[in-house]
Amino acid sequence: MKKEMEKFQEDIQLGKIAYFPGCSLNSTAMDFNVSLKNLLKFLNVEFEEIDDWNCCGTTPAHNVSEELSIILSARNLLLAKKMDYENILCPCVSCYCRLLIASKVINSNIEPENKMQESKRNLVLEELKNMGFDINQKLDFRVYSIVQFLLLIKEKIRNKYIEVKDEINNSREIMLLKSLKPVCYYGCVLLRPGYVTKFDNIENPTSMENVLKEVGIKSLNFSFKTECCGAILSLTNKNIVIELSEKILNAAQDSGANCIIVCCPLCQQNLDLRQSQINKYYKSNYKIPVFYISQILGLALGLSFKNTMIDKLFVKPDIRI
Amino acid sequence: MRKINNNLSDKIRDEIINFIEPDIYYCYQCGRCTAGCPLANVYEYQPNQIIRLVQANEINSIFDSNSIYLCLSCEICSSRCPQGIDIAAIMSYLRIKSWENRSFKEKLIAEFYKAFLKIIGIFGRSYEPGLILNLNLVSGKFFNDMDLALNILRKRKIKLFPEFVKDRKKLSRVVKKYL
Ligand code: SF4
Ligand code: SF4
Repeated sequence: MKKEMEKFQEDIQLGKIAYFPGCSLNSTAMDFNVSLKNLLKFLNVEFEEIDDWNCCGTTPAHNVSEELSIILSARNLLLAKKMDYENILCPCVSCYCRLLIASKVINSNIEPENKMQESKRNLVLEELKNMGFDINQKLDFRVYSIVQFLLLIKEKIRNKYIEVKDEINNSREIMLLKSLKPVCYYGCVLLRPGYVTKFDNIENPTSMENVLKEVGIKSLNFSFKTECCGAILSLTNKNIVIELSEKILNAAQDSGANCIIVCCPLCQQNLDLRQSQINKYYKSNYKIPVFYISQILGLALGLSFKNTMIDKLFVKPDIRI
Repeated sequence: MRKINNNLSDKIRDEIINFIEPDIYYCYQCGRCTAGCPLANVYEYQPNQIIRLVQANEINSIFDSNSIYLCLSCEICSSRCPQGIDIAAIMSYLRIKSWENRSFKEKLIAEFYKAFLKIIGIFGRSYEPGLILNLNLVSGKFFNDMDLALNILRKRKIKLFPEFVKDRKKLSRVVKKYL
């Protein structure tokens, strides 16, 4: 594990990371995409978008057939390999889980544990071969979530912050940050076991807080960090999502927070876009902006509202943007 | 719902016992999985009851209740089970088996999956406007979430036109196999 981290850090210094945006970031989570890309550019982290990437299949594929889900995700990994990348950054938590699982199936050093897994692996490799990929080469993919990645470049973030801190003190962006009392919300799947490298505590994670500390942002305690917002049920069973997301907003308010910082497009949508529906349904009056962690880090390092796409939030922060 | 026969039911139970670690008979019904499950209050069977039903080979009862279809795969249950049982993996496995046997009870969710995969089959990427339109037509609730749709359009927070994967032919062929 430690060795893996070291190797990864070397790779980053060499500028070797492939970027898989996924469908959400390409559309309804464009603010996450743009703010993160601008942040990485500003930090001189080199990345390259995977050429001709496809949808990872997310919940529908995974709930219909494991093989299909793995094939869809593995195609993206192999496209990255064609561009000479084996480290992949997946900002979207759902894509991250799918690509990570796919990597655990097709990586060369993986031994299937039983017959079922073995036949699954063979079927997947066969399909990928039919798609024209070379499956006999050595494959050693490492897939990183946004939070893991930010932890790994923590030093870069710290150094940049020290460098720019004094110049940006009086901007409106910094005024906004100073007015925030945030809680960090991780959502349910980012840290769960089974397929995840355990880089943080499952029940009370602190890695987002740790990254934010580097730019002088303190977050409040929050007991709902890893509760589920209802995720993709928003399209078919809206009432469940409204109920679950309300609980999270409520808990944030109880903690004394005036905003939430998230790292998952689905959480962001359910808490931000649906806040108006929640208010209608519960006759409540929540007005809690829900920022992506990339937006907050960007602002703290001096990126503008425009470059962090703060104007795309549905629940606006109190400062005029 | 389409019932499955006894042979198939046996087979599904055996596969769960043989291939998903650890053995489901380690479950001592403490209920910790259920205590953490965000959907416990809407489930017709609780996660611990699902485990019991598998042991008792009552696969049809599981297919005929809403639990496995609504499950969010959030894995809270698995991460908290003192016996290490991977409840979420068992739920996933059952859900896939139900799909394969066309026993999916939650029709709207099944329609959503179909619509989604069809879109992936055509474009290679998701296309929200098409997906939502399709779903609202199927459910008959055409104005479902219209308030949100208008907000999204006002902010231009969506791609109005689909994007295509260039090399999508082979991809489509694979997706179609599973529809
Ligand atoms: S937590 Fe584990 S042991 Fe307890 S009831 Fe659930 S599956 Fe059984
Ligand atoms: S994975 Fe499914 S059953 Fe387990 S806690 Fe989450 S929603 Fe409940």
